[in-house]
Amino acid sequence: MHFTRFSIAAAALIALAACAPPGQSGSTDANATGPIKIANVNAQSGQLSSLGQWEHKGVKLAIEEANKAGGVNGRQIKLDLFDSQGDPTVGTNVARKISAEGYIAMLGTAESAVTLAMAPILKDAKIPNITSGQSPKLAELKSPFLFLNAPTSVTFDETLAKYLVDDQGKKKIALISNNGAYGSGEHDAFLASLKTRSVTPLADEVVTPDQKDFNSNLAKIREQDPEVLFIGAEEVQSGLIAKQARELGIKAVFAGGAPVGTDVYATTAGLENAEGTIVSSPYLSNEATPEIKAFADKYKAAYKEDARMHVAKAYDGASILIEALKQTKGEGGQKLADAIRGVKRAGLLGTYAYDANGVGIHETKIGLVKDGKVEPEAAS
Amino acid sequence: MKRLLWLGPLVVAAWLLPYGLGGYAIHVADVAIIFAILAIGLGLTMGVAGQINLAQVAFFGVGAYTVAILTTQAGLGFWTAAALALLAAVIFGVLVGIPALRMQSHYLGIVTLGLALAFTNWVTNAHIAGRAEGISDIPVPPMFGVDLSSGYLFYYVELIVFALALAFALLVTRSPLGRRLRAMRDDDLAAGALGAEIPLLRMTAFVLSGLYGGLAGILYAGLIRFVAPESFNIANMFLLLAMVIIGGRSSILGCVVGAVGLSLVREALLDASGFAQLGYGLVVVLVVVFAPKGLAGLPGQLRTLLRRGGNGSRAQLGPFLPYDAVPAAAEEEVLEIREVTMRFKGLVALDAVSLTVPAGQIRGIVGPNGSGKTTLFNVVSGFYRPSQGSVVLRGDDVTAMAPYQLSQRRVARTFQNLRLFEDLSVRENLLLGLDRTRTTWIWRYPGLPWKVLGYERELRRRAEALIERFGLAEVADAEPRSLPYGVQRRIELARAMAMEPTLLLLDEPAAGMNGEEVRRLAEIVRSIRDSGVTVVIIEHNMGLVMSLCDQVTVLSSGRVIADGRPAEVAVHPDVVAAYLGDSMSAPTEESAEAAIEEASR
Amino acid sequence: MQVFLQTLIGGVTFGAVYALVAMGFSIVYRTMGLVNFAHGSVVMIGAYAASTFYMASKLPFAVAIIVAIAVTALIGLVIELFLRPLENKDFTLMLIGTIGFGAVLEAGAVLIWGATGHAVPSPVATGPIDVAGIRIPTYSLLVIAVAAAATGLLALFLQRTKRGAAMQAVAMDHQAATACGIHVGRSNAMAFAIGAGLAALAGSLIGPMLYVNPTMGGTLGIKGFAAAMLGGFGSMPGAIVGGLAFGLLDAFAAGNFQEYSELVTFLVFAAIVMIRPTGIFGEATVNRA
Repeated sequence: MHFTRFSIAAAALIALAACAPPGQSGSTDANATGPIKIANVNAQSGQLSSLGQWEHKGVKLAIEEANKAGGVNGRQIKLDLFDSQGDPTVGTNVARKISAEGYIAMLGTAESAVTLAMAPILKDAKIPNITSGQSPKLAELKSPFLFLNAPTSVTFDETLAKYLVDDQGKKKIALISNNGAYGSGEHDAFLASLKTRSVTPLADEVVTPDQKDFNSNLAKIREQDPEVLFIGAEEVQSGLIAKQARELGIKAVFAGGAPVGTDVYATTAGLENAEGTIVSSPYLSNEATPEIKAFADKYKAAYKEDARMHVAKAYDGASILIEALKQTKGEGGQKLADAIRGVKRAGLLGTYAYDANGVGIHETKIGLVKDGKVEPEAAS
Repeated sequence: MKRLLWLGPLVVAAWLLPYGLGGYAIHVADVAIIFAILAIGLGLTMGVAGQINLAQVAFFGVGAYTVAILTTQAGLGFWTAAALALLAAVIFGVLVGIPALRMQSHYLGIVTLGLALAFTNWVTNAHIAGRAEGISDIPVPPMFGVDLSSGYLFYYVELIVFALALAFALLVTRSPLGRRLRAMRDDDLAAGALGAEIPLLRMTAFVLSGLYGGLAGILYAGLIRFVAPESFNIANMFLLLAMVIIGGRSSILGCVVGAVGLSLVREALLDASGFAQLGYGLVVVLVVVFAPKGLAGLPGQLRTLLRRGGNGSRAQLGPFLPYDAVPAAAEEEVLEIREVTMRFKGLVALDAVSLTVPAGQIRGIVGPNGSGKTTLFNVVSGFYRPSQGSVVLRGDDVTAMAPYQLSQRRVARTFQNLRLFEDLSVRENLLLGLDRTRTTWIWRYPGLPWKVLGYERELRRRAEALIERFGLAEVADAEPRSLPYGVQRRIELARAMAMEPTLLLLDEPAAGMNGEEVRRLAEIVRSIRDSGVTVVIIEHNMGLVMSLCDQVTVLSSGRVIADGRPAEVAVHPDVVAAYLGDSMSAPTEESAEAAIEEASR
Repeated sequence: MQVFLQTLIGGVTFGAVYALVAMGFSIVYRTMGLVNFAHGSVVMIGAYAASTFYMASKLPFAVAIIVAIAVTALIGLVIELFLRPLENKDFTLMLIGTIGFGAVLEAGAVLIWGATGHAVPSPVATGPIDVAGIRIPTYSLLVIAVAAAATGLLALFLQRTKRGAAMQAVAMDHQAATACGIHVGRSNAMAFAIGAGLAALAGSLIGPMLYVNPTMGGTLGIKGFAAAMLGGFGSMPGAIVGGLAFGLLDAFAAGNFQEYSELVTFLVFAAIVMIRPTGIFGEATVNRA
């Protein structure tokens, strides 16, 4: 009896659903008068939240400056922070959230895996995204709405390989990297660069991102007595590897991407151990150029802490977005994406000129760690 | 049917929900449903079956990853991949569950956690699984032209899967299987003695866990269309655990409420996740301390709080309705114990004990403390494997059979220190005894669920009869722990008789009873014997032994020192000596048993 | 051979830390039958406390460790106080309660110290010792020595002092102990405080070896727990042997299986405990069923 009543009701509902499937009626474009809504998505909690916090400070600085200078065509920019928790699933949630809530552009995240997860959704929603990730896979997506604010690992490592092999003539090279998103990207890119120079690494050790004891891996490397040890890992792990390598008596010069140019790396490794590390990075130090110095001072005044690459590239990304917004007069979508692609800007990390893959910077510089700080390599 | 009426508005509301939600809110709802399915799985293994499984999030990952790999790398269609993914998750569940055969509780927790870490490590490394960056571009599941890339339409797919998953989980928990799982959780030894095949049941729990994990994983792959190792990490396992604990781990509906609730809270606190983490932790601690049964247990807790004010009436036992007497069967030996020796680490608890119990007899076993009486019962009922000798049941050698096998051969027992399932009602305790099916019977759950319901109704009808016979009507729905000791003894006896045994072993059934209760007990035992059951009884109450037993065996220091009619045995010089020397004997048996019980955990 | 020996050194150093963590698990478990899943997080708090005092106040490292031990012992007491109503009631619930506490401590550390973490300068300045090409960092020797000393002191305490004997008695039979006039509650609290103190010691020692951050407790906790299980839960010698065994297993897996080391470590671990669920020394615990 009840069942029949139920089934009638259910049938009616199904019919209703069939007639008018639920959905959002085509979202109206962000009204052209209110503030322009920009989303900054980054990990604010979890293991990699320090990156996310730096990124946010950089973005905030750029936006606040723009707003103080009158905004975009008189409209203020409203910046909202979303926590990706470093989790791609949360990332996809956030991507849907910002597209549903009418944000017209997104800045972040610092983690390639999260950005990769978000990219298809942002592409469908036509929301341009300037990311701080540097995985080559981001460029491989060839999404017209995805832009990188830094070079990819390929550029970092190609520059490094060129310097080490071509300029310095070092052939005895060993690798140690972790299997995380960043480490494996570095590993693959550096290996490829060595291969084009027909250099075979003496050792190629892979560790896990959680690993803390590298005695076994490093002892194997020591047996090969390399001149250079390439480290492909995040800041802290790079530091631990460097420290344990020196304790084991490995005399090789350390080399790596941006992480080994940070103070976290230097303090974790110990200043002595980090001395002489070769860094390939578009942003070597806070004193590299007058522009960078001015930025670093500005940053320090605002946040009472030293600027670093993550801050600078987030600042660059935000500045590019602001410039593009000025051109589109605050309009988003395809128009904004095209505008970003057209931006040519001398930023803190170098000169931005976007290619079809959304990569804006195509070169890095070589620096050497001295007393915990990176100094540009004079010869390069 | 009336009980299902409340479902009506709920179903309508769930069906109409998308019409009131925005594009993002519906996505949140989609994710919440996935977590609800996952939480049901964890509730079944951890809450219902008591298996501490910290790999649920890995089962989830196996489901999602299998779909991702098969669709993107092997080019399979989404639903074919989904079917295989379900299979893969179940197989993985079984593999992770294997350690449960050897260990329980925190041991199992850490091993399953380790295996979950191993899974994450594998997907982070394997090229086929997309390494650290994961796999994107999982195709949209096709559905007869319905565009499932819309979160709205996917919601309906999820809703239907969820409804089926919930219905199945409720069927499982409210039927013989669920009861056995809960019995196993509360006391696996007693459950075994009632015929529960513990190893198979533990594996069943993990199969269910894998099934629900896989199901959730498939939906996840279809909804998010991207998988990466971080989504299946320990932090998410903790979140899932928090959902189940806050909701109420042994209640399926509680788990669902916890999962949906916490998903929404997590969403609301997305921008304050640092504080949110602190909040989850605190809430879990508070729930554990103040509301151990979670949200689902709160109404009950409030009720007991309120009732404490008024004084509840003391439950009364009704009279026992005697069994129909059956004419004694042909003279046959029901139980024969041949030269059984039991050693525990150099300590001899039983030393070449032999005895024979003919059909229809009430055999008493007496002896001072530590003389090996309970050890003998444990050997006969399969808890211990004797070091030497054999146990023969109606001509079949049953030495070293597992308790459940003996239970299936209609050997029932009670325990010296009462092993009723404390978290199950009296009725459920009896239902456990009545259910004589093998665990393999459970294929009917997915196959012929209506048969399960029919069987359950039949069981309940028989339980009514049993409750009536043992005069338990007033206490049928109470929890055993709230009842007086004498009543609990009666329940345990009724539970043993529910198994319709041919051999009944009673371990000190009169302990702690007053004279009137002992007299009634004797009546009941006689009636049981008259119905054709052979009874072996361990008892210290000599009056009862003398009046009730047809024959008495006396044990001392693990040896039979006398055997015969009660009156003969009572005057046997060795018996007198043994009883006078009682105070001197060390309580060796108890301590040895404690050690063994510990080891077998 | 050199690689083998060098791996051994690394394994033993980390094994000593795991052993300290495992001892913390075990002393709580044997005394009150509670598995404290928050233990890893207590280690992390200990590491933070010690390193913060060490670096901020320029206190000698040993003093910083003692301060850290005091801080974590207090946390241990708080956890025990909270979970006291559950003692001897529901094992699973207590287990989950401690997992909740772990989450609270971790989130708390993020709120207090931030998520970034910090490097801790080594308190021993001398370079590593070179023995026939095998390099032994002096700090490793210090870690091993302190771990050994702590083990010795704890054994002495348990066997030679009245308090310790009381704890042993509670471990064996808490009802009989109560009958003898031993305050079980105080004994439990004490066990918890000692366990937390050991955690702080482990945390302080590992700080300069690694890097202190809020998530460090998770891995340490799981590995320390696995070590305790490998040795035999609740057994003190078991904790030491289990810790060293797990450290070595970890180190050799990293050397031979590279990025798959974690998979291998936990599979081997699962296989071992399948064969011998009570660990090398067997479980030493209270039966409180």
